[in-house]
Amino acid sequence: MLAKLAARSRRRAVLGSLSAAALVLTAAACGGSGDDKAVGGTVHLEFWGWAPGYDKSAELFNATHKSIKVTFKKLPSGGQGGYDKMLSAVKAGNAPCLAQIGFESIPTFLLEGALEDVSQEAGATKDKFVPWTWNQVTVAGRTYGIPVDTGPMAMYYRKDVFKKYGIAVPTTWDEYAKAAEKLHKADPEAHIVNLRAITLSGLAWQKGAKWFGTEGDAWHVGVDDDQSGQLADYWQQLVEKKLVATDQGYSPAWWSGLQSGKVATAIGAVWLNPLIAQNAPKAKGKFAVAPMPQWTAGEKKFGNDGGGSTAVLKGCQHKDEAVEFATWMSTDPDSLKNLITKTGIYPAATAGLELPEVNKGVDYYGGQNIYKVFGEAAQHTDTNWQWGPTQSQFGVDLDEATANAYAGSGTLFDAFSNVQKKTLSAIKSKGVKVR
Amino acid sequence: MSTQPTARHRRSDPGRAAPPARRRGTSAARLSTTVLLFAIAGYFLLPIWWLIVSATKSNGDLFGSNGFWFGSHFHLADNLTKVFRHSDGIFGRWLLNSLLYCGAGALVATLFAAMAGYALAKYPFKGREGVFAVILGAVLIPPPLLALPLYLLASSTGLVNTYWSVLIPSAVTPFGVYLARVYAEASVPDELTDAARVDGAGELRIFFTIALRLMSPALVTICLFQFVGIWNNFFLPLMMLADDSRWPLTLGLYFWNSQLRDQPWYDIVVTGSLVSVVPLCIAFLALQRFWRSGLSAGSLKS
Amino acid sequence: MTRDADSPTLPAADRPAPSGDHGPGRERRPSRSRSGSRLAARRNRSAAVLLAPFGVLFLAVFVIPIGYAVHQSLFRVERSGLGFGAPRTVFAGLDNYTRVLTDSTFLKGVGRVLLFGLVQVPVMLGLALLLALLLDSRVARFKRFFRVAYFLPFAIPGVIAAVLWAFLYMPGISPLNDIGRSIGADVDFLSHDVILFSIGNIVTWSWTGYNMLIIYTSLQSVPKELYEAAELDGCSGFRIAWHIKVPLVRPALTLTGVFSIIGTLQLFGEPMVLRPMTAAISSNYTPVMLSYQAAFGLNDYNFAAAVAVVLALATFVLSYGFLRLSTQGSR
Repeated sequence: MLAKLAARSRRRAVLGSLSAAALVLTAAACGGSGDDKAVGGTVHLEFWGWAPGYDKSAELFNATHKSIKVTFKKLPSGGQGGYDKMLSAVKAGNAPCLAQIGFESIPTFLLEGALEDVSQEAGATKDKFVPWTWNQVTVAGRTYGIPVDTGPMAMYYRKDVFKKYGIAVPTTWDEYAKAAEKLHKADPEAHIVNLRAITLSGLAWQKGAKWFGTEGDAWHVGVDDDQSGQLADYWQQLVEKKLVATDQGYSPAWWSGLQSGKVATAIGAVWLNPLIAQNAPKAKGKFAVAPMPQWTAGEKKFGNDGGGSTAVLKGCQHKDEAVEFATWMSTDPDSLKNLITKTGIYPAATAGLELPEVNKGVDYYGGQNIYKVFGEAAQHTDTNWQWGPTQSQFGVDLDEATANAYAGSGTLFDAFSNVQKKTLSAIKSKGVKVR
Repeated sequence: MSTQPTARHRRSDPGRAAPPARRRGTSAARLSTTVLLFAIAGYFLLPIWWLIVSATKSNGDLFGSNGFWFGSHFHLADNLTKVFRHSDGIFGRWLLNSLLYCGAGALVATLFAAMAGYALAKYPFKGREGVFAVILGAVLIPPPLLALPLYLLASSTGLVNTYWSVLIPSAVTPFGVYLARVYAEASVPDELTDAARVDGAGELRIFFTIALRLMSPALVTICLFQFVGIWNNFFLPLMMLADDSRWPLTLGLYFWNSQLRDQPWYDIVVTGSLVSVVPLCIAFLALQRFWRSGLSAGSLKS
Repeated sequence: MTRDADSPTLPAADRPAPSGDHGPGRERRPSRSRSGSRLAARRNRSAAVLLAPFGVLFLAVFVIPIGYAVHQSLFRVERSGLGFGAPRTVFAGLDNYTRVLTDSTFLKGVGRVLLFGLVQVPVMLGLALLLALLLDSRVARFKRFFRVAYFLPFAIPGVIAAVLWAFLYMPGISPLNDIGRSIGADVDFLSHDVILFSIGNIVTWSWTGYNMLIIYTSLQSVPKELYEAAELDGCSGFRIAWHIKVPLVRPALTLTGVFSIIGTLQLFGEPMVLRPMTAAISSNYTPVMLSYQAAFGLNDYNFAAAVAVVLALATFVLSYGFLRLSTQGSR
């Protein structure tokens, strides 16, 4: 033992040189963080986001533009910490110029003072976009970014399952509930839908609820307003009758339900279509897309789930160039083609809606031109929907409250009231007026 | 449940030495103890076995075969390629980052702790015990609670999202100072340092040539502790690092795991976990002895 | 006894504790008669130089951040109207602390980790003590193998251990569920009622071996003569363990207890990893998660700082109290 220890003590020289090497290493390994530098007349912009395909659009831009160079940096997705990183970079004063920010988080970033007002730089581009999307990047008359995509919603359904049990495709929520009963009676293991908590916001949008709004100098929160109450009661009924499956959204069980046909519909946005194709490959050709059911027969009101913008973060020294890139990315045909195929976006730019890539039959859906349905929905989406200033907390609260309701503690409406309470106190804690 | 054999040695037998061969209890006691020990070993080892087996499976086999035995195909090579190719080979980068954070952090921390521990052991300056008490108090502060204030500070100094934001906090180990002090007291005799002083050696030279060498087994222990400590500290990089090219392995795997809801890359997460565990397990088995000496020093004086 | 420089001795750790005032373990009082004050000054300078690198970093990483957190916790961000103007930071006194201590989710989280600690820490330490005593007993075989086997989970970082167990809890992948079903026990590890135990199991799995090793090494340093005397008196291995060994490893148990308590209060990684898989874990399930959510979900750094300060104080009080309790009994 002693001899061994003595031998080891001779290795101290090694230890010493190792630590010296480590010091050199650490000194070499340190890069500063991305300040935008102008080198030799070229403006360098950094762009933080997480969507696949954005990097390719940046490359396309760099290949066709001399004076601006954009570097895309991949972050965890917004809700998974990406937004935190952006906000903390703004706080630390080393934020990039450009950031991928979902519509739902624009007011939150604004409240943190993390966005640059680019009303002047972006003023001329307003007409290039679907009207309601411009409202999403504009708060109190000032614009903070450029819309990229939207998430018009529809109903994905299993043709074969409906046919097997003789169920007609529902066009109203009333019919939908009846279809749910019929299906469950025919096959006790089958459910009409596996409802994710966040989908409820899209459903509330369709219903005409006003979850958030501003009145004068105060915020207004209405997660428990009448329309939301009706929505909650409707779904609560289905949950209580066990007509709705409540697997964790996007868990293996969630996908396998769609693949096996034990879950007959999915209410979701346009971006869900490639995901279903990927995760339920065995159901190829069995799905079709129909418009979302209506509350009143014959009406055309639709909801939206998702969509986002390229926003300009606080402290950006090159607002003109940032807006130029963001506009180009959202409107240039080559960029749009790339984003549609690689990212799976549905464009917010009106010109984008004419592209052949979003007007063709999709193999997985039996060759149906599903985009017709989504295009229709995009045209009839309420333009006045607003998001609140404490979105990441709100999303978490809604998720948790809904999960509790599904688990049987309280009703969905209790969940909504609960979220209402929590949101009011969250907004108050930010030192903001709220009613 | 051992019962003592009847042969009893009495104290009234002062001339007798201790029994020559040590009795090993009854065979029944031996058997039951061994069975129990093996059962408990199963609890500790089976999850690791599951990880090894699962890393050789395709996604289909992961969900459809016996979890504690190999699947129909041996997919380990494919899985490994997948792990290292995933999102432009970021996994290899995470591995290197982890080595940098843990390696550099642990080495620097050890050197500084050795210096401080030696000074606290060998120089009776005024206020020494007060300084030592403060350092010991810091051992009681959980790293996650420190991470938030550190983040706030790093954020206001612009250090957020740099390698430094993780390296600097990693280079401090109060527990290491405590260990170093205990070891310096025990293994650096005053006669030796006094003799060196008589020969005209300076204090720093004495430390770097004599004390460091005498303390080196202990330093390996401190280094190990700190290495594992940094490896385990996931809260700090989680807060500090926005840019995934600077993440350590743990954060990367946590992120992949959190994406499982949207991306069914189970095979990648499982295999990546195995890859991240193997080097440390090997280091562990090789350096067992150092752990024991470090752990017992901690329990000497409370 | 003097030793020559080329044969370094074992660190104190590997020997019985140096007792009192003799042996090489103690340091010498400098005799003032021989050394002038100049010499003392030089020594102090050297001590300062040796302490400086650690000292500077210690200030930067421990002292200043804690001070900064306390400072932050005394302020609040004020906005006006819709909140889109420039926010102002104003002094808030102890408002944030009042908010923390009256926040029902915080109190629930504290209650949760305390419950967790009351169950998990004794179970883990009991198991660690049992294993250490078994391995130290004479009836054990393959000691080396078992020691390594029990200690191995500690080599796996907490987050990875949580990922690993998450798979073992996940319906569809988990072999445990299959085994459970075959013996008629269908446990949902991720359900509301079971989840805390599932987290406890991950922590126990990771840390039992580590704690066992601490206790085991302290058993090893007990002089064998003690047992031999008892054996000559005809004590069974069982009674020796209980009456002689357990009191001897008291300090080791105290140490592991303190570290386990600290670990409990900072429970974070394991529930964070399991969160995406179950609705049973909320974003503020544990106090540290609440602090994280306040900082990064609500961007309310002042409140988050207050939570961190309260938790640090609570940790301090609890571990100090535990130390006092456990040392009191031995006097």
